[in-house]
Order: sequence, then C-alpha cells, then structure tokens
Amino acid sequence: MKEAEPIVFVIDDDRMVREGLQSLIKSIGLRVETFASAPEFLAAKRPEAPACIVLDVRMPGISGLDLQTKLGDEKIEIPIIFITGHGDIPMSVRAMKEGAHEFLTKPVRGQDLLDAVQKAIDSDRGLRKERAELNEIRTRFDSLTPREKEVLELVVGGLLNKQVADELGMSELTVKTHRAHVMEKTKAESLAHLVRMTERLKNAPHK
Amino acid sequence: MQAVDAVPTKPRTFARFALAIGLVLIALWLSLILQAPFDNPFWFFFALAVIVSTWLGGRGPGWLVVGISSAAALYYFIPPYRAWSLKPADIPFFATFVGCQVVANWLISWRREAEDSLRRAQDELEAQVEERTIELKNANEALLDRIEEQKRTEEALQVARAELARVARITTIGELTASIAHEVNQPLAAVVANADACVAWLARQSPNLVEARAAAERATQGATRASEVIVRIRSLITKATPEKTRVQINEIISDTVALAEGQASRNGVAIDTDLATDLPPALGDSIQLQQVILNLLMNGIEAMTGASDKARRLVIRSSVPAAGQIGVSVEDSGIGVSPETMPRLFEPFFTTRSKGMGMGLPISRSIIEAHGGKLWAESTPGQGSTFQFTLPTADGVAG
Repeated sequence: MKEAEPIVFVIDDDRMVREGLQSLIKSIGLRVETFASAPEFLAAKRPEAPACIVLDVRMPGISGLDLQTKLGDEKIEIPIIFITGHGDIPMSVRAMKEGAHEFLTKPVRGQDLLDAVQKAIDSDRGLRKERAELNEIRTRFDSLTPREKEVLELVVGGLLNKQVADELGMSELTVKTHRAHVMEKTKAESLAHLVRMTERLKNAPHK
Repeated sequence: MQAVDAVPTKPRTFARFALAIGLVLIALWLSLILQAPFDNPFWFFFALAVIVSTWLGGRGPGWLVVGISSAAALYYFIPPYRAWSLKPADIPFFATFVGCQVVANWLISWRREAEDSLRRAQDELEAQVEERTIELKNANEALLDRIEEQKRTEEALQVARAELARVARITTIGELTASIAHEVNQPLAAVVANADACVAWLARQSPNLVEARAAAERATQGATRASEVIVRIRSLITKATPEKTRVQINEIISDTVALAEGQASRNGVAIDTDLATDLPPALGDSIQLQQVILNLLMNGIEAMTGASDKARRLVIRSSVPAAGQIGVSVEDSGIGVSPETMPRLFEPFFTTRSKGMGMGLPISRSIIEAHGGKLWAESTPGQGSTFQFTLPTADGVAG
C-alpha cells in the first residue's frame, strides 16, 4: 500500500503569520492546509495521511490549548507543535503533559520549525503504522468465538492443554481444536507471537 | 506729630514776638516822625501793628503790641508829652484807643484761630485720606499677589493633572504589556517566518522567485505593522501638553480598539465596533481621548473576565445624539455595577480590582469635562454596564 502524501495543518488567527508558515513549509515540499481558527479546523475534512498541526496558542474564541484538549477528547491523535508569543512555564507544562509534540516560541526560527514538523510527521507516520497494526490485530482477535477467547486466555496464561481442558470442563482434543483455530485466526506464528500480540492489545489504549 | 512739631515751636514763638516788637517800634517811629509837622497825633500805625502782629504772630504777640502801643501812646502822644500822667479829660480818648486795640486783637486772633483750626482739620482729613489710600494700596497689592499665586497654583495643578493623566496612561499600558508584547511579536513572527520562507524558496535547486517575492512582500508588511504598533504606543506614553485640534472620533476609536484587541482576545472577549458614518469632527486632544476610550475598553474587558458563562461581547459605538454633539458608548456584557458601588465609581482611588489604581474613571471624567463634555455610567447588575460620554462638535451646533 502506497503511503498518502504527508500534510501539515497550520492554525493561526494572524493571516500574515499563517501565510508565512505555509510558504515556509511548502518550500520543503510538504502539503499545507491553513485555518484561521480552531472551529474552522474541526469542521474541515482531514485526509488520511501522516500529519501534524502547527498551532498558535493564543487565539480568540477557542485557544490552542483548548483545541488540544478537544482533540484529545475526540481521540484525534495528530502531533501538535505549539507556537506561542509568551511561553510561560505553566502553559507549556500543560501543553506538554497533554502530549504536545513541541513547544516553540515566536518568532520561530524557520529551520527549528521545519525540523519539528519533519520529526512530528515521522512520529505520526510511526504512530499511524502502529495504530494500523493494532487495528489489524484487534480485528483478528474480534473474530474469535467466546469459547476460543476463553481458551486463548488460559493458553496465554501459561496453562497446558490438559490443564485448560480441566479448567473449562472439556476434552483435551476439543481444546487442541480451539487452540488451532485461535492460532489460525490471529495469524500467530508461535505461542510467543500470540502472547506478544495479546499483550500489545491489552496495553493499547481503547479505541 | 506733636513730638516733631514741638521742636520748631520755640524759635517760632521767639520770631512771633520779635516781629510784634519790630512792628510796634516801626509804628512808634513813624508816629514820632509825623508828630512834628502835624498837630494831631498819627498813631493809627499802632492799630496796623496790632492787626498785622496778631494775624501773623497770634494772640500773645498781639497783647504785647497792645501793651506797648498803649504805653507809648500814654507817654508820647497824650499831653503832657513824655510823661506817664493822664489828664482826666483824656481818659475816654485813651480808653477808646486801648479798647479798639483790644477788640482788634481779639477779633483778629479769633478769626485767625478759626482759620487755623479749619486748616488743622483739613490737614488731619488729608492725612487720614493719605493713610487710607496707603492701606487700600497695600490691600490691593496683597490681592494682586494672591491672584498671582492662585494663577501659579492653577498652572501647577494643570501640570500635575497632565502628569497624573500620563501616569495613568502608562499604568494602563503596563496592564497591556503582555498583549502589547504579543501585538509587536505577532508581526515580527510573520516577518521571520516569511523571511525564512523567502530564503528557503531561493535556496531550492530551481529557485521559485514568485513564492520568494510573495514571502518577501509579506515580511515587509509585517515589519510595517510592527512599527505602526510601536508608534501607537509611543504616542500614548510621551509627555505631551494637551493640544486641541479637530479630531475624527471614529479614527481614534479604531486606533484604540487595535491597541486593546490583544488584551481582549487574551480574555476571550470580542470587540465589536458600530460607528456612525457621518460623524462631524470634534475639538480635542487625540491622545487624551484615546486614553479615555482605552480606559473604558479595559474596564469592560475586566468586567467580563468575572462573568464565566456568558458571551463576552464589548460593543463600542459612536453616534450623534443631538445637533452639535458626538456620543461614544462602550457597552459590556459583564457582571455590572451594584447600586451601592455606582455613586462611588468616579471617586479617586476607588477600585474594585486588586491591581487597579482607581484613577482611570476620575481622570477620564476630568478629561471629558475639560473638553466640554459629560461622562456617565449606567448598569444593570448581572447584565452589564454602559459607559458613555458626549463631546461638542468642533463647529458647534451649526456644524
């Protein structure tokens, strides 16, 4: 599958800053979309592609930090590069705690911003890949029957087939059949692989 | 006065008496000379001597002349001559002579004294008038001094008032610092971003001149905007004596809104302007008027920061409420002013803010009143307040 072209969203209420950032980012060959306010960004359709947001902290109406919270609530995970004119410590702490990718102060040096954008897009690319894999695993695991899920649970817990059979009150042969189905449906190459996938799913944030 | 006059009295007394004696001796001499060729005694000179010496010398010398001339008449001119005796037949004649002398002396001295006392009274009156005139002059000078002093005080007051207004402006600017920093930083950020973009477009293998030029133009615009902000702020801080010129209120409002907008957006406040299109010019000091409007805007923003759940909307309007008048109002949707607080709103040093100096509204009101206008407030607690002022137009009612 060919990856979609990366995109940078620039959100700043100041037209001149917005256009400057757009031009700067465009100059390194990245696609840029600009928005004058947070609601404008929320209303727009976002293409499926590695992306990052360059966000002005201070805007009338919904501020940059408010938008970050909102995106978090809606599980929209796009790395955010904050730009602020007066980077006070509590503000940057709050932003970083909520997962801001970078916190730059105005006026931003062009190269700093481009580096941050590049890093953020790489990070988003990785995250997207991760998310895609996770979704794939989740789909596979979701296809298991309740019985198979019970067997999976115990097998991953380290029980032998015989012990599983005792536990669930079924024959060892039946356990073996279920176990083979599980391995097939989840495309697990070995028991170790199955355990790793289960762990990954458990540790992943819920969708 | 008496002490001063006491000294020259003695020589004068002596002179008076010397004059009397001199006169009586001359009269005697003339009478003796004229006695020889004529039969009748020419002693009328004695009467003259009495009159003149009494008039010039006073009563005392007059009496002396009366005495001497009577004695001389008895001795020289009443037979037997050169003897002190008097025949009984000559007694009435001699007595009449003496009596006439006495009456002349008395009448002349009485007249003389009356005249003297009149002159003294006149002198006294004149002295009194002189004295009063001096007092009046002194009082006048004191009054002039006081007027001069009051003028100086008023001038000093004027200077102090202007300085206070400036300090208040600087304080307001101080409150605005964060947003002003943003205000200047924002265009600078645009300059840097665009300049960097310009360089990046030029640095590409095949430079994109169209993009580079557009970026460079935006950088120039940003720099111009930054310098405009600085000019606006500097005009508020500089120490200028109030100067009244024809001013366009709408322009002042737009400039001021541009200054306060940063602070407003920081507090989530939107400023709407609703300006009358055909507003006549006003006569006023644009910096001071800007200060008043800035103050009202800042108060409005402050008032709404306390209101959490409502729409934060600040509306500034200009209008022509009556012929010859310009009206400006700033309406907020803040917490409003309680009826208890209302009357104290314009008192100096009264403030509801922790950081406020409490001088904004009193200074604003004094500025507007100095412009011949009025500034007042209306409020519905919980709904918001409206502060408004009027100014006369530059051309009066006709304009």
